[in-house]
Amino acid sequence: MSKNNELVDDLVAKLKRRQLVGSSAVAHATLKLLIVVISKNNWSTCNQLLNIVKSVGQRLVQANPTELAVGNIVRRVLHVIREEFREAESSAATNKNQSEFHAAPLTTSSSMYNLLGETSSIPDDNVQYPSSLRSNIIQEIREIKDELENIYDSIKNQASLQIHSNEIIMTIGRSKTVEEFLKMAAVKRKFQVLVAESAPSYSGQDMAVELSKAGIETTVIPDSAVFAVMSRVNKVILGTHAVLANGGLVAISGTHMMAAAAKHHSIPVVVCTGLYKLSPLYPYDEDSFNVTFNPDSVLGFEEGDLIEKVTVTNPYYDYVSPDFVNLFITNQGGHPPSYLYRLIVENYDPNDHTFDL
Amino acid sequence: MPPKEKVESSEQVLQAVILADSFDERFQPITLETARCLLPLCNVPLISYTFEFLAVAGVQEVFVFCCSHSDKVKAFVKKYEKSSNMKINTIVSQELMSVGDAMRELDAKQLIDTDFILVTGDVVSNMKLDQVLEEHRARRQADKSAIMTMVLKKASPQHRSRSVGDGSLFVLDQGSKECLHYQPVKAFKSTREDRRMTMNMEIFDKHPEIQLRNDLIDCQVDICSVEVPALFTENFDYQDIRADFVHGILTSDLLGKTIHFHEVSDVYAARVRSTQMYDAVSKDIISRWTFPMVPDSNLQVGDCYEYRRGLVYKEKSVVLSRTCVVEEKVVIGANTQIAERAVLSNCVIGKNCIIGANVKIDNAYIWDNVVIKDNCVVQQSIIANGAVLEQGVTISKGCLISFKVTVGANTTVPAYSRLTALAEGDEDDSDAELISDPAVVGATGRGRSFTEAEGSDDEDDEEDPKNKQVSMLAFDMSELKLAAKQQEDSASDFESEASDLEEDLISPEEELDREVAATLDRAFQDGHDVDIAALELNTLRMATFSNFKEMRKRVIPGVLKHIDPVAKAGSGKTAKEILSRWGPLVGKMIHDEEDQVDGAHVLHRVCATLYRDVAQAQKVFAPALRYFYDEDILEEDAILEWYHSEKSQQGTDIEKKLREVAAPMIQYLEQSDSEESDDEDDEEDEDSE
Repeated sequence: MSKNNELVDDLVAKLKRRQLVGSSAVAHATLKLLIVVISKNNWSTCNQLLNIVKSVGQRLVQANPTELAVGNIVRRVLHVIREEFREAESSAATNKNQSEFHAAPLTTSSSMYNLLGETSSIPDDNVQYPSSLRSNIIQEIREIKDELENIYDSIKNQASLQIHSNEIIMTIGRSKTVEEFLKMAAVKRKFQVLVAESAPSYSGQDMAVELSKAGIETTVIPDSAVFAVMSRVNKVILGTHAVLANGGLVAISGTHMMAAAAKHHSIPVVVCTGLYKLSPLYPYDEDSFNVTFNPDSVLGFEEGDLIEKVTVTNPYYDYVSPDFVNLFITNQGGHPPSYLYRLIVENYDPNDHTFDL
Repeated sequence: MPPKEKVESSEQVLQAVILADSFDERFQPITLETARCLLPLCNVPLISYTFEFLAVAGVQEVFVFCCSHSDKVKAFVKKYEKSSNMKINTIVSQELMSVGDAMRELDAKQLIDTDFILVTGDVVSNMKLDQVLEEHRARRQADKSAIMTMVLKKASPQHRSRSVGDGSLFVLDQGSKECLHYQPVKAFKSTREDRRMTMNMEIFDKHPEIQLRNDLIDCQVDICSVEVPALFTENFDYQDIRADFVHGILTSDLLGKTIHFHEVSDVYAARVRSTQMYDAVSKDIISRWTFPMVPDSNLQVGDCYEYRRGLVYKEKSVVLSRTCVVEEKVVIGANTQIAERAVLSNCVIGKNCIIGANVKIDNAYIWDNVVIKDNCVVQQSIIANGAVLEQGVTISKGCLISFKVTVGANTTVPAYSRLTALAEGDEDDSDAELISDPAVVGATGRGRSFTEAEGSDDEDDEEDPKNKQVSMLAFDMSELKLAAKQQEDSASDFESEASDLEEDLISPEEELDREVAATLDRAFQDGHDVDIAALELNTLRMATFSNFKEMRKRVIPGVLKHIDPVAKAGSGKTAKEILSRWGPLVGKMIHDEEDQVDGAHVLHRVCATLYRDVAQAQKVFAPALRYFYDEDILEEDAILEWYHSEKSQQGTDIEKKLREVAAPMIQYLEQSDSEESDDEDDEEDEDSE
């Protein structure tokens, strides 16, 4: 821990000051930092390493609790560490016990039911871990890194399954994932995209520019027109900032309105997201993972007399409840919201949902 | 760290200078016990916001200048430095009295070797300086004389985050981004100089298009080049960075330096200069205008504020009772307890406070470890650390309750009170016993009321107290207007471009009053010829469609005003001297006999109203009347007609007595006039008695 304080401080400061925002960017930065932390620090037992990673994770998450991808990556890394230790242990145990009787190494299963009883029984001492353990863990984490880097490829490859010729697709805001997804679909198919401009950030306008550059027939519509044109739309494709444990979304403001309009017209809503955005946290109230921005873009600060009399809130995200979403397209394929619990179990250890030491 | 190394290799270390001392007493008595920059703003020390602002701008080395309470600032900075990646040096100098002194000290120590950011220790801003720095550097490359770039923010004139009483007028060239002239604007303009602005006419030759702007918040964030401290050393009388330095540099022909500006509009920047600004900036932070510098981004290590709907920020360890009401815009610090039925709105409450049952707090700033017992009411005030309000205390608006004051049960503290628990006299003198004032803090209280005079410098006494008042917490502008109306003197003046607080509607007559007075003042000051002054007045008369009668009403008092009845001969101010110089000007306003009679009436009335004392009035009136007669401005018939007219016989006591003064002269006139009988004259005398 002591050796990498400066690096951690640096990332904490960046997160706090919002110099580093966006799920993808923070996920990459977190992973990079954790690789350094794990490879540079001294540890000999599982719990030591877990504590080191957890303490770093705790600071990062506190720095900006709304960037859920930070916590997700830390949990993924913790999960990998547990797995690796367990494997090393079982192989050590097998070696020891081989002379006596052939114990079947069944405990490597990643099922939650096994893990619950397992964690406490990991003996910290007296086990001689193979020297390759450290490099194995780093190797596994590098695989997460590869996964992050290839996320767009694995998602966009499913595009032609979802988008058909002459469809009208609606989307909102600027999402790199959705952008790649639509561009890939445009290679094979011809379709039309309506982009809601998503005031007050107007990131939808940038999105439209990018799409039209790729030769897609794109129309920017004001947010107020979403409901009006929804009846003509075949499919709504959304990006998201985070996916919560219940399948709810934390996505750019305006998404909830669009999803509700789609539900009213029974238009399917498809969410494109990398798995690193999937968080095991549960939204106990709608505001819990939201960020309220500077009201400047809604009501200018120059309007001196007015700002004293009115309170302006400018939430950046919307919470979209899971019943508005029909399908999640992740880098591991398409899943209905009801299946997300399974992905959470596979990717995170239940002990890591909070980082309390 | 890789990113940092890259910055260092490509360019020099970015340095900043923070002036942690405010060099004024607006927060007294609170600042008697701690430094201004350590006051908590939304439960975070003020200077933390400045550090954060600089850290975001990529500053790597900071110099903090402090003077009063330097040990406290030093300790804080030392602690802060550990958690930041900036190098922070504290420079303590007890002799610092102004910004100018700090800059000279900076120059003497040769700490700065490149362009630096100069800010005060009370700046709150979420501005990104990259662009400003880039612009400044580019300008420096092209032109070495561009020594400084000021960052200015646009805001409407009545904006709450404009510091009242610290206005400024900028003359700018939008094309070259150059600041051409600067003038500070006071809220209450007591002297003539305050209301005027003078500008070098050469500006118009050089710049075809200029803007005069009063809508800019000057948050005193400057990018300075190395020459700036050196210029302060050269001009050792410069004190203030704006009023002296900028004004001086721009009006000086010799230096040939230019100052530029950068106008920002979509970011937040403000200075906590006064208690009024403390209130405004706190509200801006709570309303998230300073995002991402908001309470829930937890600037201070260890804080853990959460944002909730209705702009409520709460630490996790806060204990709220079931029936307490937390309305809008509230910040509550760690371990604070709020009892039953307490109502909080628009307020900041510090750490470890205990708020009793039925307490009402509105618009107040309550710092750490404060105990407010049941049934208290607190409005628009600041209550510093460790203060105790016993049961049933009412704190009216605008109060500053300093550290560890105890207000006894059921006391009402009047509006704008300033209470301190510090013993009177020298602040370092620990032996001095605090004498509590039961009239102020109640029988069981501890503290006394603080008076402005203590420890204030002579310099500040020159300042109009009203200008201090307007920058006070919760100060009501309507109260100021009332006070201003009462004090408004008859002297009038040109209106400069600067907006005037009490200037709303000026009737054409008042306008004429002002213009005539201004013309006469100019004539007297510059020693104009009577003919020239008369020409100016005539032009004025025609421009305002007025007549000679109206002009006489104004010119005669204008001239007589300059007579000093107690002045000695030779001082240039006696009636004789003034009249022999300027009397003819009055003559230019008088043409026929009707005019003369009117002139006599005006003279009579003016002498009666200008001087309170009869003796003084007589001293002016008699020679004036005599002079006008001698010079044939008022002829015999006219004076007699005046004397016998009904109008002159009525009026105030002074007017009557003045008329008596004229009696001997009248007698002389009537004797010389054979047509008048002696009887009549006697009758007149009886009448007047």
